[in-house]
Amino acid sequence: MRQFGTVTSVKTANKIKTMNKIDSKVRANEIIGTKQIFENPMNESFSIKLNGQTVEAFPGETVFQVADRTEVKIPSLCHDDRLAPAGACRVCLVEVAGQRRLQPGCAWVVTPDMEITTESDRIEKHRTILYNLYMADHELDDAGLPIETGNGNELRELCKTVAPMGLEPVSAPRAARPGDDNPYIQFNPELCILCARCTRYCDEVEAVNAITLSHRGAETTIETAGQRSLIDTTCELCGGCIDTCPTGALIEKKAPVNLVQLGGTEAVRSTCNFCGVGCQLDLHVQNDKVVKITSPEPGETLNDGNLCVKGRFAYDFVHHPDRITEPLIRGTDGLLHPATWQEAISATAEGLMKVRDQHGADALGFVSSSRCTGEENYLMQKLSRAAFRTNNIHQCAAT
Amino acid sequence: MFGAGAMTNAIDEIRDSEMMFVIGSNTTEAHPIIAMEMKRARQRGAKLIVADPRKIWLAEMADVHMQLKPGTDVWLLSALANVIISEGLHDQAFVDKHTKGFDAISAKVKDYTPEEAEKITGVPAEDIRTVARMYATTKHAGIYYTLGITEHTHGTDNVYCLANLVLMTGHLGVRSAGMNPLRGQNNVQGANDAGATPIYYPGYQKVTDNAAREKFESAWGVPLSPNDGLNLNVMMKEMAKGKIKAMYVMGEDIVISEPNVSQVEAGLNQCEFVVCQEIFHNETTRFADVVLPGACFAEKDGVFTNSDRRVQRVRKAVDPPGQARPDWEILCDIARACGYPMPNYSDAGEVFAEYASLTPKIAGISYLRLEQNVAGLQWPCPTPDHPGTPTLHLDGPMIGKAEFQAVDYRPSAELPDNDYPLILSTGRTLYHYNSATQTRRDPGPVAKQRGNFIEISKRDAKIYGLQHGDRVKVSSRRGEVVAEAWISPRVRFGCIWMPMHFAESRANLLTNDAGDSVTGTGEYKVCAVAIEKVTTGTAEELELAGI
Amino acid sequence: MLKPDANREQIIELLEHEGGVTEESVRKVSQQTGVPEADIWGTGKFYTLINNPGTRVRVCDGLTCQMFGADELARQIVESGKQCERVSCLGQCDLAVASLSEEMELVTYSENETNISPANDDLAINLAGEVDLSYSALAKARLMDAEAVIEELKTSGLQGRGGAGFPAHFKWTSLINQAETERYVVCNADEAEPGTFKDRETMLRQPHKMLEGLAIAAAMVGTREIYIYIRGEYVNEVAVLRAAIDEAKGRDAKGPLGDFNINVVRGHGAYICGEETALLESLEGKRGMPRLKPPFPTESGFRNKPTLIHNVETIACVPAIVHNGGQWFHDLGRTEAGSKLYCISGHINKPGVYEMPLGVTLDELVAEAGGYVGTPLAFSPGGASSGFLPISKRALPLDYKNLADAGSMMGSAGIVVINDTVDMAQAANWQLKFFERESCGQCAPCRIGTQYMRRQNENYIQLGDPATFEHTEDVAWEMEEGSICGLGMIAAKPLTSAREHFPDHFKTRS
Repeated sequence: MRQFGTVTSVKTANKIKTMNKIDSKVRANEIIGTKQIFENPMNESFSIKLNGQTVEAFPGETVFQVADRTEVKIPSLCHDDRLAPAGACRVCLVEVAGQRRLQPGCAWVVTPDMEITTESDRIEKHRTILYNLYMADHELDDAGLPIETGNGNELRELCKTVAPMGLEPVSAPRAARPGDDNPYIQFNPELCILCARCTRYCDEVEAVNAITLSHRGAETTIETAGQRSLIDTTCELCGGCIDTCPTGALIEKKAPVNLVQLGGTEAVRSTCNFCGVGCQLDLHVQNDKVVKITSPEPGETLNDGNLCVKGRFAYDFVHHPDRITEPLIRGTDGLLHPATWQEAISATAEGLMKVRDQHGADALGFVSSSRCTGEENYLMQKLSRAAFRTNNIHQCAAT
Repeated sequence: MFGAGAMTNAIDEIRDSEMMFVIGSNTTEAHPIIAMEMKRARQRGAKLIVADPRKIWLAEMADVHMQLKPGTDVWLLSALANVIISEGLHDQAFVDKHTKGFDAISAKVKDYTPEEAEKITGVPAEDIRTVARMYATTKHAGIYYTLGITEHTHGTDNVYCLANLVLMTGHLGVRSAGMNPLRGQNNVQGANDAGATPIYYPGYQKVTDNAAREKFESAWGVPLSPNDGLNLNVMMKEMAKGKIKAMYVMGEDIVISEPNVSQVEAGLNQCEFVVCQEIFHNETTRFADVVLPGACFAEKDGVFTNSDRRVQRVRKAVDPPGQARPDWEILCDIARACGYPMPNYSDAGEVFAEYASLTPKIAGISYLRLEQNVAGLQWPCPTPDHPGTPTLHLDGPMIGKAEFQAVDYRPSAELPDNDYPLILSTGRTLYHYNSATQTRRDPGPVAKQRGNFIEISKRDAKIYGLQHGDRVKVSSRRGEVVAEAWISPRVRFGCIWMPMHFAESRANLLTNDAGDSVTGTGEYKVCAVAIEKVTTGTAEELELAGI
Repeated sequence: MLKPDANREQIIELLEHEGGVTEESVRKVSQQTGVPEADIWGTGKFYTLINNPGTRVRVCDGLTCQMFGADELARQIVESGKQCERVSCLGQCDLAVASLSEEMELVTYSENETNISPANDDLAINLAGEVDLSYSALAKARLMDAEAVIEELKTSGLQGRGGAGFPAHFKWTSLINQAETERYVVCNADEAEPGTFKDRETMLRQPHKMLEGLAIAAAMVGTREIYIYIRGEYVNEVAVLRAAIDEAKGRDAKGPLGDFNINVVRGHGAYICGEETALLESLEGKRGMPRLKPPFPTESGFRNKPTLIHNVETIACVPAIVHNGGQWFHDLGRTEAGSKLYCISGHINKPGVYEMPLGVTLDELVAEAGGYVGTPLAFSPGGASSGFLPISKRALPLDYKNLADAGSMMGSAGIVVINDTVDMAQAANWQLKFFERESCGQCAPCRIGTQYMRRQNENYIQLGDPATFEHTEDVAWEMEEGSICGLGMIAAKPLTSAREHFPDHFKTRS
């Protein structure tokens, strides 16, 4: 259990604009702790200097939170709004006036009149060497950059911004999990930067604690207890670890590895079709096939970047060969036979009208579906009521 | 009770809770992403109270777990009210301003003392006091419930009891509080909103209300029936009696999901005509005269409305397979073939526009606005400039004064006896969904849960001579199934639990179709069963049982 | 997420009880404590004493032991058919070469005995002095108010003896100003800096000084809760300490420490746990990874409550300060306040722990320690973290400021003298290996930087080509700028200081 009152997830005002219901002051106050959000909602803001500009800040905010409302961009690898700041990747170090050392922008809490500098020769030098160190500890492609596995590699993008030093590889002895036969989640230690976003997500958000940082120093890696397959752990296969991984060390086993290299896919925003939470999904489509499902960015929609095993992975059914692909009419032999749409629609209309004509409209029962769309439910009840004049229309409202 | 059958508060308010009272909801499995918000609140110091016969995941994280006996919810909740009122912890100002019937409820719960409740429910009286005090004195305290509350013959009574607690403590119209039923399916809320119910037109306008009927008659251009229709539970019984003679079933496997399914099967056999509109063959399509291939969510446009009344877009990403078509198009064709002049909608958006124009709660929502509001719009949203309503009842109950509902405890319809000595509850797991036609076609859920199982306590397992993984026959007065026995610390002595997902081993062959007097919802959570270790069985039989 | 009733603080000890980290032991401890299996696994794998079950001889890899033939000892043990593991400094540099037997008993291979300064009442710790069981300083402090005691501390000029040299009274003041009243006093007895064994001697010879100091601190900051975190390899010291605690608590808790809860918690093989916030993480049953600061432990320490953490030597100075006054202590020093325990080992005649005025020179210290052996070349003044200085600095006062100004540090005052028989590139390598092994792995500059440094230096030793050092200054700069904690900040020091001061040792070799 993290300490009550520490920074948890704080969304920036501009990110949640579209949610139009949580004002930024309440958000800013999140870090002070639940109680005070309500009892002291009008905390006074103050100003700080960010790269020489005067900007507004709220008590308890970090440099990141303040900067998020401005044009100032601070790079980072280990930060995720949903997680407590770790300050581990060291990418986000900034200069704080009066502090001898560089400080992590993700975790440094601002106070009135503080002066923060995010770009300087010192920071530039720091980033250059740091990124080069990461490259010395990471699988590189022919261009000498951290390789892209199809899940996006934020480290690769950062490394493009600095001059390569050509540091000799350190060949850290990190263990993989070769025997893990789970069908969804693949871990490649050669691409892992030990930012611990996956393990922290597994602990702080999904809260199942299936994976952990293990060993130490050069041998530090991500493991399960006993290096068992994720299937045999408390893992619920939510895939949030893949989603939060910045380098592609965690990838989906079932999505095409080359998704990104193929120039990206068309993503269609939709709503999950399983439980009643209403998570938003991005369906990635290739050749008229759903090949991957991801969540919108944290802070954008109500699922806050999160999905469960069903929402993220259980989409094989869409293109399953068992799908019914043609209308069927039961023949005199008692079996279902393919038919044209016209035949099937006529048969349906005749069957329903015959019962209505013989037994009255209330001998018909219409079962609509809580799995179908609102429009379809509207049309189903309209069919029952307007076309057949019966209110015998329901769906599994209770389940 | 206060005016709307939906979550009073928004899902993303949960993270700011000071207290969450979760009852009859296995949230981490049935609503994983809402559970994540609960975990987040818990991490930040919110208190978590869980009332559930099973030691579910959330119960392990809870400050108090009230492990009540199945079906004794009215006792437990009335005892909480007893403590709140007898200790003077209720919100008198709220009660005076916004409610009526407080004296009656005070009198009613007088006899429901924590000590007596302990005897009936098995929950220690001290825990009941602790929770009552905590709930009454915490401002941002929300109640979250699901089918563990409603799937009883006294489901409505359970809901009344919860509403009484909300009203007497003034937890209404407050952020991160309220009364929050978590809907089980992607669009239960939307299906109800759209009028797929026997007593309401779209937007909860009563079919028996003349003005409402006239409005829809005028819009649809035909006379409409003035009588309430049959709810699903009654419809199934009438079908078995031969009164319902034709069924049009769209996107539901009633032979798996309805209680006492052998009765449902008998009814379908008697029907003169059955049409199924589906994406996969399932248990129900076995009875169909016509099968119409529909489209899944990735293949069509529309909206889903989630648990917190949020209308969100579904967008077509790929084409339906083969000749399959979006369901809304099929429905229009059928209506026209039946002689009703359904308009020529050019797309789903036009259907929505007609639906919204007749439904004041969503009249302000349009496809255009849903493009602009990526997080959706929450009803009520009556006008195009209305921002939507995350939290209901901010100015007091919508219906004016809300009335307390005094109810008496009634035992479940079927209690254990010598022949059927165990209580069976059924439910969902994380890995599968409803009849599992979708999830059993994906490797992860299958790897985690291959076939049907029961959870049984160590003590019961010992009595029946069961080892973890043994096969058991579970039987009730209505049927029997074979499943694997999982010895689990989650269930109480004398109780077993079974998921509902497996077609070859259907939990609903066992469940009781006795329905709630108001909603008709079946008693999925309590029925009496017997179990027996299965020692023989051919390979085929085992395969059939999914073991 | 941890269950509300989970007992995380016990897991490391329970794992040890089960014989170390295995799938079975982890499952069992998870059932016992309610802590998720993965968390237990990941925590256990952090600590070398439990991460790899099985018996073996552990041979010290520390600088002094290496100078005296640890590699040869290890070779002989392997030849005798036993399992052998090389481990970081065992804190027995005066008795080099040191090892732990399969039964976890200390076995040393040295003709020396530990030397200490003779008894003298004008020394704060006075290792050879008589053991005082009166706890009269505690009684005296209890009659004073906390502000007065802290005022004496301030006058005394006592600085943290663990290495940072932070004025002790600041921490006390900060603690009593906290609103939170649940507070802790923690003693850092995780002595593991190569070359250092002064806390060992303090605990063995004057445990009551340390206990009395802790009791005074606890009484002044308003708590009864005292935790002593002692390195797991100090098997004898744990026993002595526990006996001393029993003695001071007395029968039926009627002794002078009767009303304190004193918990001795053993480390399990991780140098980084000497870093105070890593120590707190370890106390809480977690991987010993340093926390971000702020918040400092005085605001949010053990269990996220205000916590006063002091090194053994620092806290053991407190009774004498209370007894004799701050000024007395202050005047014991020469260039800075107080007397100081200096550990000295390596190429000298009488290695040991000498308590001398703060600010003595190397030559004075070595004179006390029986003189140099051979021709001195270099010395490491404050453990591996301080890097190396050339013998030309022999007249430099060994204090916090002068050593810092010389680009080194006082550190833990674990002084190792090196004569001209040693190749400084090799000496640097021993130290680099130590930091690589002991890096917690949390932040990239340290985790990757320590590997890089050791590899480059080994390349040089193998190939003799100084071009291998092309980027070492840059990487060292980044390690100092970018690391989270002090370990990473100084982990390149052995190489950079050796190259700076001994350029002849890093020329092109054929």
